[in-house]
Amino acid sequence: MHKEIRVLQAVRLKGRPQAGDIARSTDIPAESLDALLSRLVEDGLLSEARGRYKVTPEGKERLHELLEAERASIDTDALLSAYRDFEPFNSQFKQLMTDWQQIDENTPNDHSDADYDARVVQRLGELHDDFLPLVERIVSVVPRLAAYRDRFSSALAAAVDGDHSWLAHPLKDSYHTVWFEFHEELIGLAGLSRQAEAAAGRAE
Amino acid sequence: MTGIAHANVLVLDGSTGQPRETLGGKAWSIEQMRALDVPVPPAFVLTTQVCQEYYDGGQELPVHVWSAVPEAMSHLEHVTGRTFGTGDHPLLVSVRSGAATSMPGMMDTVLNLGMTDGVSQALAAQSGDPAYADDTRERFREQFEQVVGVAAPDDPWEQLRLAIIAVLDSWNSRRAVSYRRDRGISDDGGTAVTVQAMVFGNLDNRSGTGVLFTRNPLSGSAEPYGEWLPRGQGEDIVSGRSDALPLDDLASVMPGAYTDLMTAATKLEQHSRDVQDIEFTVESGTLWLLQTRSAKRSPEAIVRHAVQLQRQGLISVSEALDRIAPEHLETLLAPHIDPAALDTATTVATGKPACPGIATGTVVVDADEAQDRAEAGENVVLARPSTHPDDVAAMSMCQAVLTELGGSTSHAAVACREMGIPCIVGCGEGTVTGTAGQELTVDAAEGTVYKGRPTIVAGSEGEDPDIVQISTWLQEELGGDAAGSLAELLRIRSGQ
Repeated sequence: MHKEIRVLQAVRLKGRPQAGDIARSTDIPAESLDALLSRLVEDGLLSEARGRYKVTPEGKERLHELLEAERASIDTDALLSAYRDFEPFNSQFKQLMTDWQQIDENTPNDHSDADYDARVVQRLGELHDDFLPLVERIVSVVPRLAAYRDRFSSALAAAVDGDHSWLAHPLKDSYHTVWFEFHEELIGLAGLSRQAEAAAGRAE
Repeated sequence: MTGIAHANVLVLDGSTGQPRETLGGKAWSIEQMRALDVPVPPAFVLTTQVCQEYYDGGQELPVHVWSAVPEAMSHLEHVTGRTFGTGDHPLLVSVRSGAATSMPGMMDTVLNLGMTDGVSQALAAQSGDPAYADDTRERFREQFEQVVGVAAPDDPWEQLRLAIIAVLDSWNSRRAVSYRRDRGISDDGGTAVTVQAMVFGNLDNRSGTGVLFTRNPLSGSAEPYGEWLPRGQGEDIVSGRSDALPLDDLASVMPGAYTDLMTAATKLEQHSRDVQDIEFTVESGTLWLLQTRSAKRSPEAIVRHAVQLQRQGLISVSEALDRIAPEHLETLLAPHIDPAALDTATTVATGKPACPGIATGTVVVDADEAQDRAEAGENVVLARPSTHPDDVAAMSMCQAVLTELGGSTSHAAVACREMGIPCIVGCGEGTVTGTAGQELTVDAAEGTVYKGRPTIVAGSEGEDPDIVQISTWLQEELGGDAAGSLAELLRIRSGQ
C-alpha cells in the first residue's frame, strides 16, 4: 500500500511516464515495480499505452483516498512548520532559475558566458547544501518522500558534471522538475490548493 | 607617476607595461583605461608575483612588499586630495582580487576600507547625510567581517593589511582550487590585489552615478543609451532604482562631465572595437569611470551593431559576421502579427510575456485532453489557472501556454522557456480558461492573446538595410552557389 501510493502519485505528477521514470521517482527496484504496475493496470487504476502509464479516473479516486489517509496520519504541525520554512528556499530557488534563464528582464541567457553559468550552478550547489536538512526533516514527517533526497542530489550532480539541462529541463528529472513536484507534494500534504497558493503569491 | 620603489607594487598610471598575467584582470582593465587617458579612480596593484612570494614564504606577506604600500597609498591621497584614515576629507579604498582569468571562490571585494569613527563623522559632515555615513560604516563592517573572516579592526592600516592577506589566501580557497583543477588552470598563476580609491556619487548636488551603453542595447540604434541618478551611490543604479533619469539630464545639468563621458565612451569603444557598458560616478562635477565591459544586448542590437561597427571601420566584414549568431538573425526575422491586421484584431487577454513566440491554436483547459489532441495532430493552446507538475508533459506538445496566475518566475514560465514554447503568464483569474474550444492567436513577445487568426508575417530579408548588407557579405564570402536562409548561410559559414 505504501508502494501503491508512491507509484500512483509518481504517475500522476509525471503526466505520462515510462516505467523507468516511475522507478526513479519511487526508488522501487525494477522487478517489483513491473509486477506492481501490471497489478495496478489489472485493477484498472492505471492504463498503459505504448509503454507510457496514465492514472485512470478510478486510480485518481484511489490516490485521493490514499493521500487523505496519509494526511490524517502525519504530524500536521510539523509539516506546516516545514512548509513555512520551505518558503524562503522557494523564493531563492525561483530567483536562481530566473538568473539561469535571463541575464536581465530583456536578455535571455544564451549560455555563451561559461563563467556566468558556472556561478549559477555554484549557487545551486550552495542552496542545495542549505536545503537538504529541510528535506530530511520533511522526510522524517512523510517517509514516502524519501526518494526526493536522491533525486535532488542526482540532478545537481549531473548539472555540476557539465550537463546543464539537469538544472531546469522540464522533460528530465532536472532540479527544477524535482523541486516543482516536491512543492506540489507539500501543498497537497498541507491541505492547500496550488491555485490558492498561487493567488497568495507563494506558488506560481 | 613613477618612483614607486618596488617592482611588484605598481601604481596603475597607464605606463606599467605589464601583462594581464602579472596585473590580474581587474588591474589590467584599469591600466588599459588609464593608457587611453580615461578618468579612473587612482589605484595600485600588488602583482601576482607577490602572491607567489606569499606562498613560497609560508603565507607571510613579505615585509618589503608591505613597506612599499604606504607610498602607493600616498599616490591615491595625492590624486584625490583625501587622506587615509583621518582628516576632513577621508580616503576610502576598495580591495579586490584579480587573477588572469576570473574564477569563483576568490575573495570578491571589500569596499569602503579605511573606515573609522572619525572617518564616519567626517563623511557625515562632508555629505550632510549622517544616515548615509552610518549606513556606509555598517555595510563596511558587515562586508569586512563576512569577506575577511574577522571583525574589522579600528586601525585602517591593519584593515588594509588583513584585506590584502584575505585576497591572497582566497587563491587557495577550496572552491578556487577545484575550479582550477576542473578547468586545467595552473595553481602557480596567483592572484593580484588591486587597491583603488572610492569615489562618492552622493556627495553633493553635483554628484551622482550612472550607466552608459555606447549604443542602444535594446533597439540596436547607434545612439548612446543610459541612465543617471543624481546623488546616487554604487549599486543604486545597477539595482534598477526607478527614480533614475535619462542621460540628457546629466547633459543639461553638467555639460562638462557629460562631454567627458562621451569622449571616454568613444575611446573605449574604439579601443575595444565593441559596444561598451560603462559604470560611472560624478563626484562634485568630476567624472570617474568605474568599469567598462562589452555590453550584453538584444539579438536585434547585436546584429545592427555588428553592421554599424564594420561601416565605421572598427571591425572587418569577417569579424562582423563572426559576431552574429544564426539565432540572432532568426529572432530578428521571426514572424510577427501584421501591423495592418492589429487594427481589426480583438484582444482576448493580456499578461506577462514569459517566453517569446507567436502561435495559433484551439484552447484546451485540461492537460490530459490537450495531450491527446496534440498527439492527434491538432494545434493546441493550453490554458490553465496555474500550472501543476502533471501539466508539463502536455505543455511540451502544445503550440502555446497561457496561465491566469503567476509571474515571470513561475514554474510554467521556467518550463516553457526551457522548451522554447510561447508562453504568457498572469493573464488574470477567469480570463483564458473561459475560452475553451475557441481559436486564439498568442503573441507571447507582446503578452497579448488575440481572437482568431490575424495575419502573421515573417520578418522580411529584403527590406531591412542591415539585413541586406549581411546577405551581401554572406554571398560574397560563400560564393553565389550557397543557398538557404541567412541563418542557414551563417551556419554553413561557421561549419555547424
